[in-house]
Amino acid sequence: MKRLLIASTLVVMFIAPVFAHHSPAAFEASKSITLTGTVKEFRWQNPHTWIEVNVPNEKGEQVLWAFELTSPTYLVRAGWKSNTLKPGDKVTISGRPLKSGEPGSAIFTSVTLADGRTLGERPARLGGEAK
Amino acid sequence: MNMFGRTAIAGACAAAFALASATLVAQGRGQAAAAPPAEPLSALAPENLSKPRPKAPFDLTGNWFVDTSSGPDAWRFGPPYPKLTPKAQKEYDTGMKLLKEGKVYKDDIGQCWPAGLPLIMTRYWPTAMIQVPTAVYMVSEFMNSFRTIFLDGRAHTDADVVVRTPNGESVGHWEGDAMVVDTRYFRGDHHWMDQGGASIPAGEQLRIVERIRLLPGGKQLEIAYTMTDPENWEGEWKSTKRFNRVNDIDIHEVECLPDLNDHLKSTRSKTQVQ
Repeated sequence: MKRLLIASTLVVMFIAPVFAHHSPAAFEASKSITLTGTVKEFRWQNPHTWIEVNVPNEKGEQVLWAFELTSPTYLVRAGWKSNTLKPGDKVTISGRPLKSGEPGSAIFTSVTLADGRTLGERPARLGGEAK
Repeated sequence: MNMFGRTAIAGACAAAFALASATLVAQGRGQAAAAPPAEPLSALAPENLSKPRPKAPFDLTGNWFVDTSSGPDAWRFGPPYPKLTPKAQKEYDTGMKLLKEGKVYKDDIGQCWPAGLPLIMTRYWPTAMIQVPTAVYMVSEFMNSFRTIFLDGRAHTDADVVVRTPNGESVGHWEGDAMVVDTRYFRGDHHWMDQGGASIPAGEQLRIVERIRLLPGGKQLEIAYTMTDPENWEGEWKSTKRFNRVNDIDIHEVECLPDLNDHLKSTRSKTQVQ
């Protein structure tokens, strides 16, 4: 069974790109969550994309998580294509969780694909995290 | 003809002339009143574009992206904020209280309402600008929000005629090396000066004056904002933003569709407060 990994960090995270559309108020910028699961759907669209991932919880139940990403305009500059993720793909995905602790929603920060590649959102000059 | 006769003819002629003159004047007035007012030339009319004008100090044509080198809050116009009116302070306090609870207060942009000025300029999206002698046309990639700055010397539209919009009506002119733009006539609802807790409303009385300069080298644009809205804050709210020219990005069609938020728990959960 896939393990649910929740890692909190003390560093202040950078979530500006997603709140180019949605308010960041619901998300915990100082925490990071990392989950391993199976892609249910990847929607390649504007103004932002999203990934739905089924993640087993500690009881073995499948919990559906939706990760918000930025626009394809920037994702392509970070190495993404519309077919980078397909239903059934195994991924390890990270993001900022809801402050409420409610599962199921997070702002995307990175994903590691089955082939070992790790993808982020966008370059720093376009509002991405400075390296 | 005797004196009486000449006098009578002269008087008749004078009377006839006076009557005719009065009729002509009346007709003239009548025609002027009946004639429709001359239609002003559009900003893209060839006769308007070709009018003699001083050469513009710079050309904004290009794609521009807010400069985020100062940090992730570079898109925001505060803090600091001006002293808010009691009405606006109540909204702000409610937003901040809910922010601490991890809730989202009136996230109209997230629910597909237009961001409006000034936030539309500093979304994390590029804005395409095309400058002609009579206007600057802007389209933000975010929601394809459209804005025109008229530079052809026109005045603002009559307040009783104008259609209020989230980006308002912008009329600009040149002052030395700067384009000075006065924007008025905002809608006044579902319009905010910040996002993510600091819920300061923008009302119908919002007025934004921008002093726009192209910095040496032409790769950076600076806009100094002076914003007033007596319904929501006292005095002038000032902020200066910079934008970088991006030459490897085109803007595309971006629309907020009804199904956009359906799959996102954060936008439909109990964290949303309206």
